[in-house]
Amino acid sequence: MNRLIRKLLHRNLSKAQLAGFILSNFAGLAIVILGLQFFADARPIWEDEDSFIRKDYIVVNKRVTSANTFGQSSAFTEAEIADLERQPWVRKIGRFTSADYRVYASIKTDGRSLSTYMFLEAIPSEFIDVAKREWSFRPGDKSVPIIISKDYLSLYNFGFAGSVGMAQFSESTISSVPLVLRLRPDDGGPDQEINGHIVGFSNRLNTILVPETFMQWSNARFSRNGGAQQPSRLIIDVSSPGDVKINEYMQAHDYEIAGDKGNSQASFLVNVITGVVLAVGTLITVLSFFILLLSISLLMQKNRDKIHSLIMLGVDLRVISGVYCRLVAWVNLSSFALAAGAMFALRGTYLASIRGMGATQASPWLSLSAGFCLTLLITIFNMLSIRRRVARAFLK
Amino acid sequence: MTDTMNIEKISLSDTLPRVFADESIPDSQVWRRQLTFERGRNYVIEAPSGTGKSSLCAYIYGSRRDYLGEIRFDGEDIRKIAPARWQELRRTALAYLPQELDLFPELTAMQNIELKNGLTGHVDRARIEEWMRMLGIDSRSDYPVGRMSIGQQQRVAIIRCICQPFSFLLIDEPVSHLDAANNALAARIIMEEASRQGAAIIATSVGNRIGITVDTLLHL
Repeated sequence: MNRLIRKLLHRNLSKAQLAGFILSNFAGLAIVILGLQFFADARPIWEDEDSFIRKDYIVVNKRVTSANTFGQSSAFTEAEIADLERQPWVRKIGRFTSADYRVYASIKTDGRSLSTYMFLEAIPSEFIDVAKREWSFRPGDKSVPIIISKDYLSLYNFGFAGSVGMAQFSESTISSVPLVLRLRPDDGGPDQEINGHIVGFSNRLNTILVPETFMQWSNARFSRNGGAQQPSRLIIDVSSPGDVKINEYMQAHDYEIAGDKGNSQASFLVNVITGVVLAVGTLITVLSFFILLLSISLLMQKNRDKIHSLIMLGVDLRVISGVYCRLVAWVNLSSFALAAGAMFALRGTYLASIRGMGATQASPWLSLSAGFCLTLLITIFNMLSIRRRVARAFLK
Repeated sequence: MTDTMNIEKISLSDTLPRVFADESIPDSQVWRRQLTFERGRNYVIEAPSGTGKSSLCAYIYGSRRDYLGEIRFDGEDIRKIAPARWQELRRTALAYLPQELDLFPELTAMQNIELKNGLTGHVDRARIEEWMRMLGIDSRSDYPVGRMSIGQQQRVAIIRCICQPFSFLLIDEPVSHLDAANNALAARIIMEEASRQGAAIIATSVGNRIGITVDTLLHL
């Protein structure tokens, strides 16, 4: 009996119209789902917060000009630091101190080794959120904790390791790789070796950090003048990082804020672009919803006499609307399934490259459930319209 | 499928098609009268074309509401009946053979009948086949209805409308395309089924009246 009812109600069904709908709905949903998924996957690239450098800390340096190349110092003078300290948005200032002696670092993997000259810096440990036990050094310790810029890891992984056949490291594996620092005194005395272990990576500090206690000890021991030089970088705890007064001050004094400034512009652009993409996807989805609504309405209009005759026979209205509701649910779910499939397929093409930029892949559930909710919403609207049309066919 | 509903009385009170509101209908025994159809009796409503016979059937069957006055099933105003209950009534208490037959031309004769019988589960297939044989359309059982003559279609529709429990059977000019022999046969089948169910028959006619025993003859 239901087979006969379905046969009657599916007459005049245009497969081309339905295919057109599935295609357009698929396109809209795929754009929405993929856009959201890309946003979720890529967000860590520009929104990654360092666990050990708080967001309201900014790092300031003087703009490097050609004058610096020819010897003029880019260090901050005491007067400049004092002026900074008087600004209302400054809560406290920490100075970067750098190692005033030569450091030679090497790592060994698979029998191959990488050795390089490098530099070390320190900031007051009150600016670093790492457990005190991990971020400490006492003279006599065999190992020193290190925080390096995430960029250096990328430089190593993608710039160096591949070309010389050394292993690539993730953030977690590199922490266990032995790093040997050879400290070379200025006065030509014997080198001293000390092990380093990486305790973290920073997006916002473009340097290699060691504890301040290590810096004081090593500078006193290996540097000719005890490391008493003016800092060229300052870390500032500001009351509100977005304050325009900060930018005005920095520009007036020709200072630069390091790190997240470019990120915030990129993040703004990506937010705008994602918004546009999602709006276009939603628009296509909504338009395709109207296509489906129109083609189902047309179909029901063509079959109105049959619907009325079935009602006259005593067929329940919900049996009749059920036939069309199932049809709508079926086509909507298939376009959602296609869109979800397309998302997974296309996601594979970009995942590798954004992973290289330091993003971890996000769970697909958010974008999938957003797409599903959109599908559900459209399906419900369609079903309500179907029920209304069937109810209207009750009277001749 | 569902519990059988029963209707004992259908009463009309000042009922009139809205289109006739401004006309005077002096001779009608139905319009603008107090009239009660009782279960178990047979009624024939005779009138020339255009006086509202089909309208009356559609009003009682709930498919049109463009009338003045009231129609009641056992005292209940039928305007207040919800669609879901109408559908139940149409499966278990009210049978209707519309003048335009309302068959599905793309389905076969048997499928048309089974569609209704599937809703009600009222008779078995052997019974349907017997009725078709009696009315001489058994050989057309698997023909699409659209390819059958009007007389044959009318016989399919007659069988279809009695494939359900009913208290009242509304038949709108049921034998207009049947010869005397088939008229008599159709009348016999309808009467047998109606009396088996203790139901009333309300039949309309322009003159070629179905050969049922008439308890009350009304002029519209």
